[in-house]
Amino acid sequence: MRRRTFLALTAGLPAALNLIGRPARAQAAPARRFLVFYFPDGVAGPSQDGQPSLWHPRGGERDFELPAQLAPLDPLREHCVFLNGLSMGPTDAGSHPGGAKKLLTAVDGGNGESIDHVLARTVGADAPHRHVYLGVQANQNDASGDKHISYPSAGHSTRPEDDPVRAFERLFGGGVAPGLPAGDPAAEARAAARRSVLDAHLADLNALRGKVGAAERSKLDLHTEALRDLERRLGGLAMEAPPPPVEACDAAPGSIGRVDRGALYAPEQFPTLLRAQTDLMVQAMACGLTRVGVLQASHHTSELVMSRFADTEMHDPGYDMRSHQASHYGPRHDEGRREFAAYVQQRRYWVQRFADVIEALRARPEGDGTMLDYTVLLLCTEVCDGNTHLHDDMPFVLAGRGGGAIDTGRLLNFPGRRHGGLFASIAQAMGHRIDRFGDAGEAALPGLIGA
Amino acid sequence: MRAPALTVLAALLVACDTGGGVDFRPTAAGPGADAAAWPGAGGAPGAGGLPGADADAAPPTPPGPDLAAGATLYATHCARCHAADRTGGVGRDLTDLADFDRDRLIRVIDATMPSGRPTACAGDCAVRVGDYLWALRDGAPAPVDPPPPPDPVEPVDCADAPADLSPRRLRLLTRREYRNTVRDLLFPEAADLAFGDCPPHRFVLAADAAPGSARVHVAGSFNGWPGTVAGGGWALDRLGDVWTLDRDLPPGRHTYKFVLDERTWIADPANPLGEDDGFGGRNSVVEVACGAAELGALPADPAANVPAETRPETFPFDNHAASGRVTAGHLEAYLDAAEVLARAALERPGFGPCAGAGCAADFVRTFGRRAFRRPPTEAEITRYAAIFDAHGAEVGLTALLSAPAFLYRSELGAPDADGAFRLTPYEEASALSYFLWASMPDDALLTAADRGPLDRAAEATRLLADDRARAVVGDFALQWLGVDALRTAHKNPDLFPDFDAALRAAMLAETADFARHVVFDGSGRFADLLTADFTVGDARLAAFYGLAPAGDGTLPYAGAARAGVLGHASVLATYAHSDQTSPIRRGLFVRRRLLCQELPPPPPNAGGVPEVDPDATTRERFRQHTDDDFCRGCHQYIDGVGFGFERFDALGRWRDTEAGQPVDARGELNDIEGFGTDTQATYEGVDELAALVADSDAARDCFVRQTFRFAQGREDEDDDVCAVRALRADFDAAGGDVRALLTAVATHPSFVLRREAP
Repeated sequence: MRRRTFLALTAGLPAALNLIGRPARAQAAPARRFLVFYFPDGVAGPSQDGQPSLWHPRGGERDFELPAQLAPLDPLREHCVFLNGLSMGPTDAGSHPGGAKKLLTAVDGGNGESIDHVLARTVGADAPHRHVYLGVQANQNDASGDKHISYPSAGHSTRPEDDPVRAFERLFGGGVAPGLPAGDPAAEARAAARRSVLDAHLADLNALRGKVGAAERSKLDLHTEALRDLERRLGGLAMEAPPPPVEACDAAPGSIGRVDRGALYAPEQFPTLLRAQTDLMVQAMACGLTRVGVLQASHHTSELVMSRFADTEMHDPGYDMRSHQASHYGPRHDEGRREFAAYVQQRRYWVQRFADVIEALRARPEGDGTMLDYTVLLLCTEVCDGNTHLHDDMPFVLAGRGGGAIDTGRLLNFPGRRHGGLFASIAQAMGHRIDRFGDAGEAALPGLIGA
Repeated sequence: MRAPALTVLAALLVACDTGGGVDFRPTAAGPGADAAAWPGAGGAPGAGGLPGADADAAPPTPPGPDLAAGATLYATHCARCHAADRTGGVGRDLTDLADFDRDRLIRVIDATMPSGRPTACAGDCAVRVGDYLWALRDGAPAPVDPPPPPDPVEPVDCADAPADLSPRRLRLLTRREYRNTVRDLLFPEAADLAFGDCPPHRFVLAADAAPGSARVHVAGSFNGWPGTVAGGGWALDRLGDVWTLDRDLPPGRHTYKFVLDERTWIADPANPLGEDDGFGGRNSVVEVACGAAELGALPADPAANVPAETRPETFPFDNHAASGRVTAGHLEAYLDAAEVLARAALERPGFGPCAGAGCAADFVRTFGRRAFRRPPTEAEITRYAAIFDAHGAEVGLTALLSAPAFLYRSELGAPDADGAFRLTPYEEASALSYFLWASMPDDALLTAADRGPLDRAAEATRLLADDRARAVVGDFALQWLGVDALRTAHKNPDLFPDFDAALRAAMLAETADFARHVVFDGSGRFADLLTADFTVGDARLAAFYGLAPAGDGTLPYAGAARAGVLGHASVLATYAHSDQTSPIRRGLFVRRRLLCQELPPPPPNAGGVPEVDPDATTRERFRQHTDDDFCRGCHQYIDGVGFGFERFDALGRWRDTEAGQPVDARGELNDIEGFGTDTQATYEGVDELAALVADSDAARDCFVRQTFRFAQGREDEDDDVCAVRALRADFDAAGGDVRALLTAVATHPSFVLRREAP
C-alpha cells in the first residue's frame, strides 16, 4: 500500500492539505481528471450488407453481453459505461477526416474548441500543465490537420508529442532549474529572472492585442495563456489549491528508459511507445501535473503496420497488415477473410490497452478508493464501422466513476442523440456546468451523470 | 433502421467537391458544360456568386411539385458533377434511381449533397431537387424543360476587379525560419552553419553504477569541474534504469566525471576512453569532431524541441499563417533555446561587457533593431533594458530572443489610400527576406527600410543571388512534392533491407539538390524540374539507381525511363506503401501536387487496398476501380495516372517484372486540363508522363499557385485569380523561369497589401 506523499514542485507551489470529494456524500464531488484514449479507423460495427454490429453490447442496463472486440473489458465491466446510439451528425458522413474533426469538438469541420481544451482552461487550469496531448506515431508521414483530434481553437488542431522522453522532460522537467531542490536560492533567483522575462512578453502581447482583429487575437490569447501558465508554475501567480496528488513526481516511469529515440516511427516499437506514453500520462495525472489528457494512438488512415507488433495475436512478420487496410474488410463480417480477422484482433488490442489504463488507475489508491474513482476515461475512434465510415452509433466507452458522478457497470442507449451531449455530461461531471455542447446544441445525456 | 440503406445511397452519390473550400466556377456554355472545369484548370474564373435562374425566361408552371425550382437548383448545385442531363460524370448517373425511394433520396441530398458542402442544399432545396430528380427518373418524360444552362460567366476583368488580399496578421516563425534567423542574428560569420548537423552528446550512466543515488551530475573540462549542481554541474535525468543527459559540446577533446550526490566522483564506466586524473583515479575522455571550433558550443538545433508546424491537410507548406500558434509546448522550447543561445552568444566578440548608465538601453536599441527586425519602441527599450539591469545580460538576451516581436513577423501594415493596408517598409523587408531566404533581413535590407518603401525588384534579384535562396528553393521543392513525409515513413525491412537512415537522407537530399541545380545552375526552368534527363546525387544514390555519375555532380538517367522529380526515389517511395506500390497515391500526387486538381475522399464502402497477391500485378488487383461503374467516376482520373509508375517499386527502384510478369508501364492521363473537359492522353513510362504534365496549362498554373501559397502562407481563393493570372503571364513571358516567377511574386501588389481582418 503506497503511502500518499505530498508534492513540492519548483518554487512556490503550496502543498495542499484539504481533502475534497468524498464519494460517500449525497452530492458527488467533481471528477478530478479527464483522459481520452483514441485509436484509429473504427470498429467492426454494422456491416455494409446489414449484419448487426460486432462491437455494441446488447442486453439490459446491468445485464448485457460484451462482444469479442470488447472482451478485454469483461473483467472490468463494473467500472465502465457502454454507450450505444450516439451520432456525430450527418455532415461529412462517410469520411475519416470528417469524423476526426467532429470527434472531440462535436462541430462540423472541427470548427469549434474541443472538449479537452474547454475543460483544460476551466476546471483544468489549476494544474501546472493544463493540457497534455501525447501521441504514439501520431505524427507519422508528416500527419497534420485532420489527423489530430485536439482543437485548442476552432478550425485549428494541434500536434501531440510523439517522443516520450521529450514529453517527460517537458512535464517533469521542473521548469528552469532542473536538478536543484525547491527553495534553493539559486533556483529562486532563476525563477525570478524567468518571471521577469515572461512579464515583459505579456506586456508586449497586451500591446499587440489592440492592433489586431479577432482571429489574430485568438492566437495572442493562446500565447498569453501559455505565458501565464508558465508563470504559475514558477510560483509567480497565486493558485487555487488543487486536490492532493496521489504520488510524488520524482521519477520517470521505467518504461521510458526502454524507448529507442532513433526509431520513433518503427512499427516494431509501437507497443513500447504506447506503454511509455500511457505510463507517463498516468503518472503525470497521479502526481498532480495535469488534470486533462489526450492519448492518441496513430491517426486515421495511417500506414501503421500493426502486424509487426510482437507478442500480439495479430503479429505476422511475413505480411504487412495496416490498420486502415484491415478496416476495409469488405461488405460482410467474414472470419475467413484475412482483413476481417486482423481487424477484429487489432480492435481487441486497442481495447486491451484501454483496459491497461483502467488498471493503472485502479492500482493507485486515492481518497476513499482509487484514482479510477475520481477520473473520467473515454475510449473513442473517429468512425463507427471502419468499412462504411458511418458517423452513427459511435463506439464510445466510458470508464471511471468521475468522483461519484457516474454510476458504472451499465449499458446505456441513446439512439440518434448527438454526441455533443456526452461532452456536456462529462463537463458536468468535472464540475464545469454547461448544459449543451456542440453545434447540434445537444443537452447532457439523461441518466448518465448522477445528480 | 435507416443506416444501411442510407450508407449505400451516400456511397453511390459520389463526392464531388474539393473539400478544400474552393468553389466551382462554370466554364463556357454548351450542353453538358455544367460538368465544369475544376479550379486550376485555367478555365474562365467566375466573379463570385452562383448562377441563378434567368429572370426573363419564365418556365411553364407545372402541376404538382415545383419542378422548375428544382431544375434550377439542380443546375446550380448538382450539374457540375452529375451533368446537366443527369447522366453523371464525376458523380453518378441520376437518371436511374431504381435503388431509391423519394424520401430516402431527399434525405441523402439533405444530409450529404453536394458532396463536401452538404449544407449548401439542405431542407427546402433538398426537397425540390429530390422532387425534380424523382419526377425525371427512368427517363420519365420531363413535364418541364430544364432551364438553359447559365450564361457563360464573363471572365473577370482584372483591371477593375478588386483582388483578394491576405488579411492583416502575425506570422509565427516556422522552425526552418527560426533556425536561420538565429544563425543570421547571432552567428552571422558562420555562413555555412546549418543547425542540426552536430547532434548533442549523450551522457548515460546505468542506475546500477550509482546505487541509491538521488542525484547525478556531470563535471568536466567543459564546465569547470563543479562539485555541485548549483555551482554549474549538469544534472542528469533518471529515466527508468538509466541516468541520462543530452548536451551540446564544442568540438575538441574533453575530460569529465560523473558526480553522485555531489559527493562521489566516478569515471564513466561505459566509456573505454580515459586518462589518469593526477589523483590516482581516472577521467573519462570524449572527443567531439563536429562543429567549428571558433564557434564554441552551439546548440545542435535550437528548434529541436519546438513542436512541428500544423497546417490544413490540403496546404503543402510548413508556413501556413493562420495555423502558426504559440502553445505551452512552443513557449518552453523557445525559452529554453533562447537561454542556451544567449549563453553561447555572450561568449562571442561583439557582446562585450556593458558598463555605464544607459548601456543596456543602447544595447537593446541596437541589437533590438535586428532581433525585432525594426527599431524597437521606447516602451520596449525601457522594458527590456530593465531586465538587463535587474538580472544581467544572459537573462536580458534570453528575453529578446523569445519576445513576441522576435517570434512573430508582423504583417499589419499601415492604412493606404484605397482602404487596404500596406506593409511598412520594415515589414516589407521581412516579407522579402522570409520569402526568399527563410531568414531575417540583412543590414542592407534594414537600412533600405529605414529610408522608405523598398525597390522590391532590385532586392529580390539581390536576394536570389545569395546562397540562402538556394536553400529555400530546395526546401520548397521538398514541401511542394510532399516528400518530407519520407522522414518518418516505414518500409518493410524484408523487402527493402537497404532502406536505412543514410539512404533515406540521400533520397531527400537528392530532390532538394536537384531543384537547386535546375533553378540556379541549369536552365532555371520549371519544365526541367519535371522533364530533366538527369538527377543529382552521391555514389550511394548512383548505386541505388544503377546510374553512372557524369562527373559533374549529375547522374544522367540515360534511358532509365525516369524524368525529373517523377523519377526520384523520394517521390516514388513517399507515394507507396510499406510493402507495395500505390497507383492511387502516385496518381493523386500528380493530380494534387502537380496539377492542383483535388478529388473527393473515398466514399464509404470503398474497397481499400486489394490484398497483395503474388500472382497478380498491381494493375490487375486494382482493376475493380475502373471496371465498376460506381468507382470509375473518380478513379478514371487517378489509377491510370498511377499505373505508369509501375516500373518503380515501393522504394523507387527499377523493376522489369512484377508478380512474375513483365511490368506494363502504360498509363492514362484523362482530362489533364480539368475534369469534365473530356480529353484523353495515354502514355508509356514516367518520362512521357512528365512531358505531358510539363506541357500542360494546368501544371504551369498549378506551379504558380503553389508558389503563391508558399509566399502568402494560405490557400489561394477564387478571388486571387487575378493575381494568379498576372503571375502566370510573367512566368510565361520568362519562359517558365522559376526565379522570374519568384521575383514576380515578390513584386506583385498582393505581396505588400493586406486587408482588414474581422
